[in-house]
Amino acid sequence: MPLALLADDLPKGETYGLLAEFETTGELYRACEEVRDAGYTRWDSHTPFPVHGLDRAMGMRRSILPLIVLGMALGGGALGFGLQYWVHSIEYPLVISGKPFFTWPAFVPVTFELAVLFGALGAVFGMFALNRLPMHHHPLFNSERFESATNDRFFISIESWDPKFDAADTRRFLEGIGARHVELVPSR
Amino acid sequence: MSHPATRLALRPEEAVLPEGHPLRRLPVFGVVAALLGLAGSAALGMANPAQFFFSWLVAFLFFLSLAIGALYFVLIHYAVQAAWGVVLRRVAETIAATLPVLALLFVPLVFGMGALFPWSRPEAHADHLLHWKAPFLNTPFFLARAAIYFVAWSAIALLWFRGSRAQDATGDVAISLRLRRFSGPALLVLAITQTFASIDWIMSLTPKWYSTAFGVYYFSGAMVSFFALLAMAAVVLRNGPLKDVISVEHLHDVGKLVFAFVCFWAYIAFCQYFLIWYGNLPEETGWYHVRLTGSWKTLSMALAIGHFVIPFLLLMGRTVKRRGAGLLLGAGWVLLMHLLDIYWLVMPSLHEAGARPGLLDAAAFLAVGGVFTAAVGWLLVRQPLVPLRDPRLAESLALENA
Amino acid sequence: MTPNPGHEAILDNPADRRPPLILKEPTFRAITDAVAEPLERPTPIGWWLCFVPSAMLMGLLGIAVSWLFWEGIGIWGLNVPVGWAWDITNFVFWVGIGHAGTLISAILFLLRQRWRTSINRAAEAMTIFAVMCALLFPGIHVGRVWVAYWMFPLPNQMGTWPNFRSPLLWDVFAVSVYGTVSAMFWYVGLVPDLATMRDRCKAKIGRLVYGVLALGWRGSNRHWQHYEVAYLLLAALATPLVLSVHSIVSMDFAVSQLPGWHTTIFPPYFVAGAIFSGFAMVVTLMVICRTAFRLENIITLRHFDYMAKIILLTGSMVGYAYSLEFFTAWYSGNPYEIFTFTNRAFGPYAWAYWIMVSCNVLSPQIFWFKKARTSIPLLFAVSIVVNIGMWFERFVIIVTSLHRGFLPSSWGYFRPTFWDISTFLGSIGLFFTMFCLFVRFVPMVAAAEVKGVLPQADPHFEPRPERAPAGAGAR
Repeated sequence: MPLALLADDLPKGETYGLLAEFETTGELYRACEEVRDAGYTRWDSHTPFPVHGLDRAMGMRRSILPLIVLGMALGGGALGFGLQYWVHSIEYPLVISGKPFFTWPAFVPVTFELAVLFGALGAVFGMFALNRLPMHHHPLFNSERFESATNDRFFISIESWDPKFDAADTRRFLEGIGARHVELVPSR
Repeated sequence: MSHPATRLALRPEEAVLPEGHPLRRLPVFGVVAALLGLAGSAALGMANPAQFFFSWLVAFLFFLSLAIGALYFVLIHYAVQAAWGVVLRRVAETIAATLPVLALLFVPLVFGMGALFPWSRPEAHADHLLHWKAPFLNTPFFLARAAIYFVAWSAIALLWFRGSRAQDATGDVAISLRLRRFSGPALLVLAITQTFASIDWIMSLTPKWYSTAFGVYYFSGAMVSFFALLAMAAVVLRNGPLKDVISVEHLHDVGKLVFAFVCFWAYIAFCQYFLIWYGNLPEETGWYHVRLTGSWKTLSMALAIGHFVIPFLLLMGRTVKRRGAGLLLGAGWVLLMHLLDIYWLVMPSLHEAGARPGLLDAAAFLAVGGVFTAAVGWLLVRQPLVPLRDPRLAESLALENA
Repeated sequence: MTPNPGHEAILDNPADRRPPLILKEPTFRAITDAVAEPLERPTPIGWWLCFVPSAMLMGLLGIAVSWLFWEGIGIWGLNVPVGWAWDITNFVFWVGIGHAGTLISAILFLLRQRWRTSINRAAEAMTIFAVMCALLFPGIHVGRVWVAYWMFPLPNQMGTWPNFRSPLLWDVFAVSVYGTVSAMFWYVGLVPDLATMRDRCKAKIGRLVYGVLALGWRGSNRHWQHYEVAYLLLAALATPLVLSVHSIVSMDFAVSQLPGWHTTIFPPYFVAGAIFSGFAMVVTLMVICRTAFRLENIITLRHFDYMAKIILLTGSMVGYAYSLEFFTAWYSGNPYEIFTFTNRAFGPYAWAYWIMVSCNVLSPQIFWFKKARTSIPLLFAVSIVVNIGMWFERFVIIVTSLHRGFLPSSWGYFRPTFWDISTFLGSIGLFFTMFCLFVRFVPMVAAAEVKGVLPQADPHFEPRPERAPAGAGAR
C-alpha cells in the first residue's frame, strides 16, 4: 500500500497497464490467486460488489481503519467529557437541581454522542483517505469496457510499473488464467 | 465463501463425551460440592438463619439466571431461524433443562420468607404502604406465582429439549417447524413470568422500592451470564470432543454476543441508576443510597468497572474473541462479575452498613451450584452434545465470519 | 429468467435451507437494470401525483413556521399546564420513525440478515428525512428562534455556556449526531451505486453530477476492503447510537419528577417503540414503491414477512411496557402515580389512550398469522394504523401527564389550533417531498449490496447442471 497519501501514485509513461475481463466471480477469484502466486505486486481487481474472500485471494493485509476509528472515538469522548467538565466545574459553574458541579452521570450522554460522532467521522474520512478518494480521473476510465465494472463484469488490472510487467508476457499470462478479454490501457 | 458442508448429519460417536473425558466427572464433582455445601449451610445456618436464606437466594438467583438465559437463547434461536448456533444449541438446551431442578432448589427459600421479605412478616399489616401492596405481596399469592413460573419454565424447557432430542434420531424437519412456530408465544410467556419473578424474588426484598426496568435488568444479566457460560463451554468442548464441530467462527460469534450483552447490561444498569439519581425522589433513591455507602460503595464501583469497562476493553478486539484462551478468560471474568451483580442486588437488604461476605455465602453457593452442575453434567454425558440431525446443522458447521 | 415459484413457495420458510431472497434468479445486469430503470425513464404521472401535494404541504409548513416566528408560540394551543403538546409529540414521532432505517442498515447487518439489502437504501433515506422533520420541531419551538445558537457550546460575549446536564441539550447533540452519522452511512453506501449510474448515464449533466458524487469509485478491491471495514465499523457505531438517541429522547421525560414521565423503563421502551413505528413506515413506503417501480422481485413478500414479525415483536414490547407501567403505578402505592394512570385510561383523554392501545397493542397481533404478514393490503393498513397509534402514544404520554399535575387548580385541557395541525401536516409534506425526490434521482435499492447476496456472487457457487450458469451471459 502506498505510504504517501497525497502523492500521485500512478505509473509514469504511455501505458497504464493491462486490463483483463472476467465473467463470473469464480473465474475472477481463481485468477486473482494466480496473479498473487505469480508474484505481481502492483495490481488490483475490480468488481461491482465486494466478493467474499477476495482479500485473501489477492494476498492483501488487513486494513488499519479500526485503529483510526478507535483513536478518533476515544478522542471525541475525551473532548466531550473534558468540555463538560470544564464548563460545569470551572468556567460557568451553576447549581442545578441542588446537585454538585461535577456530575459525571449527567455528562455521559454528550460524551457518548461525541465519541460516536468522531468515530464515524474517522471511519468515513479515514476510509476515503486510505482509498485516496475522491480521484475523479484514473487511467482505467479510458477503457470503455471498464464501464461494466460497476455493472456485471469483473476485472483485473496490472500496472505497467510492476517489476514483472511485460506487455506481451503478462497479456499471455492473463489470457492463460481465464480472461475473456485483455486490453492495453493508455495513461491518458 | 461458504464451502458446501462435508456432511449433513453427525454420527453419535462424533458428538458424545468420550470415556475418560474430565467432563464426564462433572456429576460426581457436582454431588460432592453439593454435599459439602449442604453440610456447611446446615452447620453454619443454624446459628444465623437470616444469613443462610440470603446466601441461598444469591446462589439460587445466579444459577437461575444461567438457566433462564439459556432458555431465552434456545427460543430466540428457533424464532429467528438462526443457523450459526445450532452446534451450540444442545449445550443451551441442557442448561435450560435444569429449570425443574431449580424449582426444588427454590423450596428452602419458602421457609425463609420471613427472614427475606419484610412484607411477609406479621407486623407488615401495620405499615400503610405494605398494607396497600398486600393484594399482590402476600404469601399464598407469592407461592402460587412461583409455582406458575416454574411450571411454565419447566414445560417450555422440557418441550424444546425433548423435541430437539427426538430430532437426533429421525431428522424430522417438522419438529423444527413446530418448535419454531411456538417459540414466539413461548417467548411472550417467558418474558412475562421472568419479569414478575424478578419483581417477586429480588425487587420485593425492598418492598417500598420500585423500578419498571427491573425485569429488563435481570434479563440483561441472565443473557450476559449465559453467553459467558456458553463461551466457556464452547472453548472447552472445542479443545475436546467437538474440535471438528465448533470452529473459531462460533467462538467469535459467542464472543460478540457476550460483548453485546455486556454493553446492554451496562445500558440498562446505567439508565436505571441515572434516572433515579436525576429525579432524586426519596422513595426511589433509598435503594441506591444503601448501595453507595460504606463498603457497598466500593463494590458498586467495582461492578461498574468490572462488569462493563474491563470486559468492554477485553472483548472489543477481533483476535481475542477468536482465541480460546482469551475468550475463556474474558467470559470467566464476566461470569464472576455477574455473581457480584446478584450479590450486590440482594445482600444490601440484609447488611445495610456494608458488605459482610462469609462462609455461608460460599457454602450456599457450593450447595446450589453443586446440584446445578450435577444436573447439567448428568444430562451432558447422556446424550449427543450437538443436535445430530438438525436441518440447519450443515449451515452451522460451515459458518464463516467476515 | 426463470418463472416465479408458486405463491406457497414464496410464503414458505423451510427449516432446512435458505429460500431465495431475490425472485426469478436474475443476473447482475438485471438487478442494475431494474434499479436504474425508474431513474432513466421519463417521470411517470404517479410521481407527480405524490410530489405536488407533498410540496404543497411543505409550502404550508413554510407558512406555518413563518407565522410562528412572527407571532410566537401563542399561535399554538400550548398553555399552562400543557407546555408541550404537538410540538414535542411530533419531534419524538419523527425521530422514532428514523430509527428503523438505522436498525435495518446497521443492526440487521451485524446480525448477518441478508434480506436487508433490498430495503436498506430506502430505509436509510427515510431516516435522514425523518430526522430532518424531527430536528425542525425543537428548533422552532424555542420561542426566540434568533437566539437558538445559544444551544451550541460557542464562546460568546456573555460568558455563558449551555447546560450540558439538561436532556434538552443532550437531544441537540444526540439527534444532530444521529442525522450526521445516518447521512454519512447512507452516502457511503450510495457511492458504488452512484458509480453505476455514472457509467450508465447517457445525459452529460447526469454523468457529471453522478460522477462528481461517486468520487471516482472504480470498484477496486483494494478500495472495497477499506470500504467493507468502514461499513462494519459504521454499523457497529450506529447500533449503540440508535439505542442512545431514543433513550436520550426518552430522558426528556424520564429525568423529570412527573408521574407518568419518571419511570426507569422509558429508555428501552422508547427504543422498542421507535423501531415499531419506523418499520411500519418502511412497510408503508415499500408497499407503494415496489409496485410503482416494478421492484416486486427484489422487495418480495418474504421481506414483508420478516418486517411484519419485527413489527409484532416490537409492538409486543410496547404492550409489555404499558402493562408494566400500570402494574408499577399500582404497586408503588404513590397516589399521584395511581391517579395519573387512572386518568390516562378513564379521564378526559381516554379517547386518545384507547386509540393508542388498540392501534399499538391490538392491531399488530394479526401478524401472528402468516397470511396476514404476506397480504399487501393488510400490511399497508396495519402499518398506517401503527403509525397513528405511535403518534397517539407520544401525545398521551406528554399531554395526559401534564394536563392534570400536582396542583388541581392548574388542571386544564389542551386543544390543538389550526397552526399545530398545519405544522404537523406540513412536516409530513416535507418528509414525502424529500422521499419523492429521493426515488426520482437516487437508486432506491442498494444494487451493489443486492448483487452481493445473489447466489452467483459467491466465488464458489456451482450453478445447477440443468440450466445455464446464472452469472454468465448478457441479457
